[in-house]
Amino acid sequence: MAVNLEVNVGGLRMANPVTVASGTFGYGQEYGRYYDLSKLGAVTVKSISLKPRAGNKPPRLVETPAGLLNAIGLQNVGIDAFIADKVPYLRNCHATIIANIYGHSPEEYAELARRIQAENAAEAIEANLSCPNVHDARNRKGAALVAQDPDKVALYTCAIRSATTLPLFIKLTPNVADICEPALAAQESGADAVSLINTLMGMAIDPDTRRPRLANIVGGLSGPAIRPVAVKMVWDAARVLKIPVIGMGGICDASDAVQFFVAGATAVAVGSVSFRNPLAAIEIVEGLARYLEQNQMADIRELTGSLVL
Amino acid sequence: MPHVEECPIVMQQEVAPGHFRIAVRSPAIAGEAQAGQFAMLQVAEGIYPFLRRPMSFERIFSDGVAFLFKVEGEGTRLLARRMVGQTLGVQGPLGKPFPVEAHFARHILVAGGIGVAPFPALAEALVRGCGKAPEVILAARTRDMLLCEADLRQIGCTVHVATDDGTAGVRAWAHEVLEKLAPDAHTRVYACGPMPMMKAVSQVAMRAGVDCQVSLEAQMACGDGACLGCVVESRKELEGEKMLRVCADGPVFDTTVIDWDAHDLAYDR
Repeated sequence: MAVNLEVNVGGLRMANPVTVASGTFGYGQEYGRYYDLSKLGAVTVKSISLKPRAGNKPPRLVETPAGLLNAIGLQNVGIDAFIADKVPYLRNCHATIIANIYGHSPEEYAELARRIQAENAAEAIEANLSCPNVHDARNRKGAALVAQDPDKVALYTCAIRSATTLPLFIKLTPNVADICEPALAAQESGADAVSLINTLMGMAIDPDTRRPRLANIVGGLSGPAIRPVAVKMVWDAARVLKIPVIGMGGICDASDAVQFFVAGATAVAVGSVSFRNPLAAIEIVEGLARYLEQNQMADIRELTGSLVL
Repeated sequence: MPHVEECPIVMQQEVAPGHFRIAVRSPAIAGEAQAGQFAMLQVAEGIYPFLRRPMSFERIFSDGVAFLFKVEGEGTRLLARRMVGQTLGVQGPLGKPFPVEAHFARHILVAGGIGVAPFPALAEALVRGCGKAPEVILAARTRDMLLCEADLRQIGCTVHVATDDGTAGVRAWAHEVLEKLAPDAHTRVYACGPMPMMKAVSQVAMRAGVDCQVSLEAQMACGDGACLGCVVESRKELEGEKMLRVCADGPVFDTTVIDWDAHDLAYDR
């Protein structure tokens, strides 16, 4: 039985509903060594800022039970080098590109979105309003993320919306009491979809030295450890939103991905598992097709929001 | 191009207390691997530990590769329990190899403890590429922790043994032995071992104007250059504000590009 995996995510047509989580896949080139990137629904690239960023000092990474904490700090090549050096490779692979952007102000996000559309550098934009690793954790006031404040989400989303006609996805943080508030703010301000979830903030300490294991002190937790949190937030948000949800957080295989669709996601992003298995994302595409066949479903869209209660 | 394979384990032995050698069959990986490169080994069958472990190739055979490792944590503890007849997930070869260049008149390998891991493969590559076995400074805490001495001698290396406690060879630090060997501008030094040792070796080499290649170790998530988790800082006057990925820009670096002082700050315990 032929199954349909094609989805439309807020105006972005994806040949299948699987992309990768920003920051876990570089600019695609690193994984293009393993398989044909055009076989993914889309490639979501590492956050891009206006100027190159060196990122945080090492150590940036610590493994934790069923996952990892990272504090990379948005190290990236900047928009100019992204357009000149990274986009041509992805275009040459015929990959569908979701450009993840990061700025210090609504104006910076808008400028990034304008540049990306003007240079035809992506098919969609994902605005990272939720990176936990770009603030000084020693300064308590510095810890607020844009996506923790629904009013700011609205302000930033409006600014980016007015700068581009590309499909616009807003990536939100799980570090909130109620995910529906920022998600609704994004929707009402013109977002075409929301991406749920970014990493959960966490911390690890070396008991021998009593020092934090990360130079940044705190970091973002990812991997299967956070999957139940992510599934629940997708379920919460999908029930109140009209726009689609891209679900992510600890997906390791196709059956994990199925949970997100059932909870209400229209597409999914595969994240940290690519570090463990570079073929994971493409195996999940194949696994979803098998799941539909085995369950006599003709279309992945039948799965979205199909939770049985 | 790196391969991702389930490889049959063909050898597993404890070579010194807490130190193991594991060899796997993989003609594809062996056919492309070069000394100084590494593989990511899937130590757990379940999801804990979640990440693979990076290991340098100790030996590169025609149909397989060997790794030498020390049990340090949960990942290496699980790896030490793997047995011949089982399979091991191996992803590689990854990273940049040691340069093998015949125009250097003299090659000196400086190994500290488990840092000897990439050197049997390098010694063989130098014999093939330069027609001459290198000298090796083999340093360890104590006699029981000296690894690969017989293998290196068999390859033809002159081995200078040093221990911290004087139980074998001379009682000296590796960089002191290197100084005594008087490397000159026609010498290339290769170092792998604990960070303080590599820093001291680098300083000896830089003072004498000697080319020095270091193989660094780092916590890695991907091994592919994607996660940016394993970076070291470069010397700003040479590279600007640049973070170097141990996995993809290394693990072998010319020592002059590394900001050793920044590294001390980051990892000093």
